[in-house]
Amino acid sequence: MRSPDGRRAPELRDTEASLLARAQAGDVAAFERLSGRYADRLFMLLLRLLGDRTEAEDVAQEVMLRAWQGITRFRGQSSYFTWLYRIAVNEANRALEKRARRPAGVAIGPEELQLPAPAVLDPSRQAENSELRRALGRALADLPPPLRTALVLRDIEGLSTQEAAEIAGIGEAAFKSRLHQARLRVRAAIGDEALASSGG
Amino acid sequence: MRVPGRTDDHEWSQQHLSHYVEGDLSPRARRRLDHHARDCVDCGRGIRAMRALVYVAHGLGGLAGVRAPETIFDRVRSAGAG
Repeated sequence: MRSPDGRRAPELRDTEASLLARAQAGDVAAFERLSGRYADRLFMLLLRLLGDRTEAEDVAQEVMLRAWQGITRFRGQSSYFTWLYRIAVNEANRALEKRARRPAGVAIGPEELQLPAPAVLDPSRQAENSELRRALGRALADLPPPLRTALVLRDIEGLSTQEAAEIAGIGEAAFKSRLHQARLRVRAAIGDEALASSGG
Repeated sequence: MRVPGRTDDHEWSQQHLSHYVEGDLSPRARRRLDHHARDCVDCGRGIRAMRALVYVAHGLGGLAGVRAPETIFDRVRSAGAG
């Protein structure tokens, strides 16, 4: 219900805590509203980790099912977002392990990485940017999943080291070690000249 | 105790460029890398490249119009109905 000025009435405003309590009591609609707040971001994470839209859609459904099945065990030691993201990373890793047993490799395309193309770049700069995006996509795809996860969570998603480590399910020192290894490998794959020309 | 030579410093610096831009080096280690990079073209360029990598990766963040599929809760609904 909305008031005449279009804003929701305060009594109907759902806080995360109230949605969580209702979801834990078995209210599917409350669970959907709670988790739906993070659905777009979670799906984007899966696209970045998996590099395949069809697989990301399948894993996203599985993440939500796992979250629903486990929501009564969520005790609030972390934020709901962190808990949900951790399930997503675990499910993505599980999917990547399955894929590793199949012959075809992962192919993360620049469209999955979603680098926004600045509209005001001159054509030569746009070409460089586009090439760099593809190079980064290839370099990410070649990383072992634990290193890719570290770089995606920290550098692309922009999470703090503490939160990213918690989502990855490892300690901060181990997470940083993975992040540094990932960056060194990506830098080596792209090359210093290409990176320096990005203007970053 | 052996004093590290240029080759030692160079290899060590190359391995710690990410730590450097992340601010993960101790003050002493940071001075070591700073000192080496002043005279080393490769490591100076490496620092710039590592900073650029982090910058470009941050630029990939955001949703860029991507929406979760409508089907994302299908299995939850099936389980809830079951």
